[in-house]
Amino acid sequence: MSTLAQLSHGLALAVTPLNLGLAALGSFLGTLIGALPGLGPINGVAILLPIAYAIKLPAASALILLAAVYYGCEYGGRISAILLNVPGDAGAIMTGLDGHPLALKGMAGPALSLSGWSSFVGAIVAFLGIVALGPLLARWALLFGPAEYFALMVFAFACLTSMVGRNPVKTLLGGCLGLALATVGVDAGTGVYRYTFDDVHLSDGIPFLVVVIGLFSVSEILMLLEQTAAGQAMMRVSGRLLFTLAEMRATWWTTLRASVTGFLIGVLPGTGASIASAVSYMTEKRLLDREGTFGKGDLRGLAAPEAANNAAAGGALVPMLTLGVPGSGTTAILLGALTLYDIQPGPLLFTQQPDLVWSLIASMLIANVMLLVMNLPLVGIFVRLLRIPYWLLVPGIAAISFIGVYSVHGTTFDLLLMTGLGVLAWVLRKFDVPLAPVILGFVLGDIMEQELRRALSISGGDWRILVHSPVSIALWALATGMAFAPALLRRLRGRP
Amino acid sequence: MSDRLAALLLVVAAAAYGAAAWHLEVPFAYEPVGPRAFPLMIAALVALAAAALAAQPDPEPHWPSPALLARSALVVGTLALYAALFSALGFPLSTAAATLVLGRTFGAGWTKCAAGGLGLGLGLYLLFDRVLDVTLPLGPLSPG
Repeated sequence: MSTLAQLSHGLALAVTPLNLGLAALGSFLGTLIGALPGLGPINGVAILLPIAYAIKLPAASALILLAAVYYGCEYGGRISAILLNVPGDAGAIMTGLDGHPLALKGMAGPALSLSGWSSFVGAIVAFLGIVALGPLLARWALLFGPAEYFALMVFAFACLTSMVGRNPVKTLLGGCLGLALATVGVDAGTGVYRYTFDDVHLSDGIPFLVVVIGLFSVSEILMLLEQTAAGQAMMRVSGRLLFTLAEMRATWWTTLRASVTGFLIGVLPGTGASIASAVSYMTEKRLLDREGTFGKGDLRGLAAPEAANNAAAGGALVPMLTLGVPGSGTTAILLGALTLYDIQPGPLLFTQQPDLVWSLIASMLIANVMLLVMNLPLVGIFVRLLRIPYWLLVPGIAAISFIGVYSVHGTTFDLLLMTGLGVLAWVLRKFDVPLAPVILGFVLGDIMEQELRRALSISGGDWRILVHSPVSIALWALATGMAFAPALLRRLRGRP
Repeated sequence: MSDRLAALLLVVAAAAYGAAAWHLEVPFAYEPVGPRAFPLMIAALVALAAAALAAQPDPEPHWPSPALLARSALVVGTLALYAALFSALGFPLSTAAATLVLGRTFGAGWTKCAAGGLGLGLGLYLLFDRVLDVTLPLGPLSPG
């Protein structure tokens, strides 16, 4: 089947009433979660995944819901960035630089609608990119053997280590913690119990949902306690709401450029929305900022990061769907969602689960159209919902998280383990250890170990198989380059 | 200082983790690499990273003030109790109680928190157990 035929098949699957409803619900909740300061896509997807699983949604529908939450958050983050000058999530940090000054000038309405439009363009560019690149990459990845896979996962960790967090050593430690958590439970190869402490609850390993909720919901509650966002003055939205045609034309090339850059950055493992929006903001500033208007309320400075972060969010789906190697914390959770449904992620996904893959891709188009509608005329609703007080929001998050984890096994043990992991995650965050590598390590740990052992079984225990093919040598070289590039660049820049 | 202390703890943890892997007994093996190699690799990597951390520690992290730390401890305690009593007390009661304490910690008055607790406990129970078919415990409220 050609790509186009598969896409239209996917569209047909995605327009069932259930899936359309879920896309709308996900878009709405995602925008809201993204807009709330402190909560981002990773928290939204983490909190809603157990619920989607508990109410027994089919795999494709659950992914459509979660992906819509993910895109929605990238739209929502800009609302609080513009109105409060507090980014709703990491991808929206750059949005506030020009967005908030615009709001101060009384241009809150056009700023909100124009950034909504840029977000939409970014998402559509990413959609086209996935359709063009996805099947190609999946076909190429079929040539991978266990040794190449192992090298690819090492590459993903290397990217993450050099891109996420301030201290690469701490990022590495986070990844190791995730890998270590994944080794708990019965070993698939030999049936030996590892790190179970003879506890029956741990014999199947630590449940994925317990880790996800502990890391991204419980620890977030503790972080929210420290936030002093209270007392911030919310800007009033008054005057005209919609941007003008001239404003759209003035930002058009910026938006397109930022979308393409954002998508490409998103495809790279380890680099996500926050890096994409920063890179494209700086690029546009260097290209266009002749009168020094950037940072003082330039519409182009607003359009660039918003287009880029949405395009990057879409781009991050490419390695997850085609290679089974997620590029970010949020896509790691989406990948884990697949394994919950006993779907083996990897390059075979495109051939074995075409319905799932293409309905997910098609739903991206649908959800983004819905998001555009929600974010242009209905933006006022979100502005009003931003006033949910923490004293009600936090217990609500706690209760929904507990429901989600309890619904899996119905044991008190899981709930206590989740709370414990949440406290551990909070301590990690205090030490500046990013959590995305932890979840990536946990999701990839099992596969990584299996691929390594499979490769060594093939070679009869000879470790040289890991650097046996040109592809794996290239991947090891790239991984080494990635791991040492930032340190090298810093040194080069230090000595002019 | 905090980073150095953490590095020390990490080395101890890596040693314990690696030792546990070393002592795994494999009755019979079909493959050249058993269940020990991967954990040992992780332990070695953690030990190396910890050494790097001790050699080049970050500036001291921003620890919250004692008052905030006390509130954080209260939140952790509440969540742990909520987890422990979720099944025994049932969802509506344990959620109402947890909301009361959490709401107070986040600075709302007694009446607001009590109303919020009742609303969340009952509302979410009805939504999930009755509408969405996710079975939740009722505890002492269960009929019969």
